[in-house]
Amino acid sequence: MTAAATSRRSVIRPPSLARPRKVDKVPFVELYAGRLQGVVSSGSDEDRVYVSYFESGSGNFFCSTNNNRPCGGLRGSPCKHLQALMTEAVLQYGAPRLINYLSLGADPATARAAYDLLRFIKGGPHKVEAGMVFSRFLTYLHHVGLPSTTLPIPEMNWFVR
Amino acid sequence: MPLTDLTTPPAAAAEAAALLDRLDQSFSGGFARLHGEHLDALASLGRAFSGTPLAGALGEALEGISRSEFLDRHFLVLAAARAALQGAQHDALAAQAAGALGRAVAKPEEIPASAVQAVPPQIEVWLESVRHWLMELGLAGFANLDVNTLLPFQATLDQVESEPRLGRHAALLGGFLDELLTVFPARGTPEFPLFRWADLWSRAMVLSARAPAPAHTYTVSGELRILGADLRQHETFATLVAFGSLREKGKPARLVRATISAFKVDVIQGEELGPLLADAGATLLDGLAQSKALQLSDMALTATGDLLWSDKAAKLGAAFDPLAEAAEVLKAAPAARPSLAAADRHPALLEELVYLAGYKVGGKEEALTITVDGATLPLDHDRFPETDDLALIEVKACSEMVALLRFDADRWTLQPLLVGGGAKKKPKFIGASLGGGKGKKSKLGALSTLKERSSKLLRKKS
Repeated sequence: MTAAATSRRSVIRPPSLARPRKVDKVPFVELYAGRLQGVVSSGSDEDRVYVSYFESGSGNFFCSTNNNRPCGGLRGSPCKHLQALMTEAVLQYGAPRLINYLSLGADPATARAAYDLLRFIKGGPHKVEAGMVFSRFLTYLHHVGLPSTTLPIPEMNWFVR
Repeated sequence: MPLTDLTTPPAAAAEAAALLDRLDQSFSGGFARLHGEHLDALASLGRAFSGTPLAGALGEALEGISRSEFLDRHFLVLAAARAALQGAQHDALAAQAAGALGRAVAKPEEIPASAVQAVPPQIEVWLESVRHWLMELGLAGFANLDVNTLLPFQATLDQVESEPRLGRHAALLGGFLDELLTVFPARGTPEFPLFRWADLWSRAMVLSARAPAPAHTYTVSGELRILGADLRQHETFATLVAFGSLREKGKPARLVRATISAFKVDVIQGEELGPLLADAGATLLDGLAQSKALQLSDMALTATGDLLWSDKAAKLGAAFDPLAEAAEVLKAAPAARPSLAAADRHPALLEELVYLAGYKVGGKEEALTITVDGATLPLDHDRFPETDDLALIEVKACSEMVALLRFDADRWTLQPLLVGGGAKKKPKFIGASLGGGKGKKSKLGALSTLKERSSKLLRKKS
């Protein structure tokens, strides 16, 4: 194919794909607006969830309940919820994509586990409104409840994975 | 079957492609910052449409955009012009494919309109928001997007997704926004697929011109045999398109298409799509997975040969051999085949169903080719779905195939849907694992966990 032809492509398999994973402990993980953010279930209380995030660039992070109560485990370094978020994010996106998105100093060729990435989180606790992340989670959950359809959708010809 | 005729695309399609290349440069830097070459390209576009019904409106739009008069109407006309160029390419390509395959060009049927339904006013409002956002993307340019241009659109998208009549919009815009968000925020100069995004932008704009009218249909009864299916998905939406032969009593066999789709989230993949899609067409999935005929009674069929699937109008029948059926009906394919509505024509949406016997796979790993009857076409790697149901190793091991003849990036390709023959006894095909409610017992259980969370939290909220 000529250079012009390869650039005239309508259908391209996305270079970075999310992978399936178990979602029991960390039901929601996303890369959004310059943050790795998600929702982590409490280990002790079935009805409580923690909202956690890492910010790209600054390396700041935070963890609180969805009612904005700070996580007790959060001191100068990421708590167990933030660690769980990173672990699941590595499963979902792979370490190289996270290193790139969060601008971490880790080596994408050798970093494998969440630990390899957490070592490069240089920021500190920095509060954001948990509600913003939590409402993203509700939008996400909303998708599994939307009705299916049998309408022809020719536009899906553009989407492959 | 002289597939050799498909090695060079028609000249008319190439000329339009050159015009598109020049136009698309403006989408990169943005229509708010047009320079000499961009304005020249817009002028060429205007000249290409002189004497056509779009000439007047396009002239006005181009003039308006050149003097920074930014109205969504101008951008809608621009999108329509870009789509019309691709519609013309589609027609030239469809004629070339039909010639090579020795079949008539498939065209939509004429079906008289039924009663017109009133459009809820909120749909018009949402579509106006969509057009406005698309205009902002066009003005900024794909290279210059930032999260402030992208994030506020989520609120409009939520509304579009909540309206069943806007299923096409939701599927397209959800996928488009998601792609934009995987690139932005970006550091430095982002890499992005300009041609593809200009495609998605134009289609979204044209689709949002006005509220969609319900499809004109009539009902059909008879035996449907699914010959193959394609799985299409992005992070929040999955679609299964099944292609089959339909035998109505006393009529020759025709080819039809049936589509079932569901919203999803990124972690739901593979067999877990089964239960979601089964919600729309469990019987269709079973007919596909078990290669069993489906008895249809009074199911709606559109002008473009699309069945509006309804499990209530379908019953599972006797088993059949999909390769034998494909060989029979696709040897001299009937003119009554799935097609595209006039406004939907686009080269990448061409999907000509073919049956190939005695094919051979050659070429290198990431650039495999399929040779049949002395003609060699590339295998469509990008469209080969990520599924265990059909693997490349099986395509190589077999000798008979049901495939879609596709066009993209200036060339024809083949996308296998079902393979068999050779050493393999049972056919391998896309969608085999989606029938029989198998995904419900998935080891990951992501779907059931998220559904449970959803029912708890969303109920609490409301």
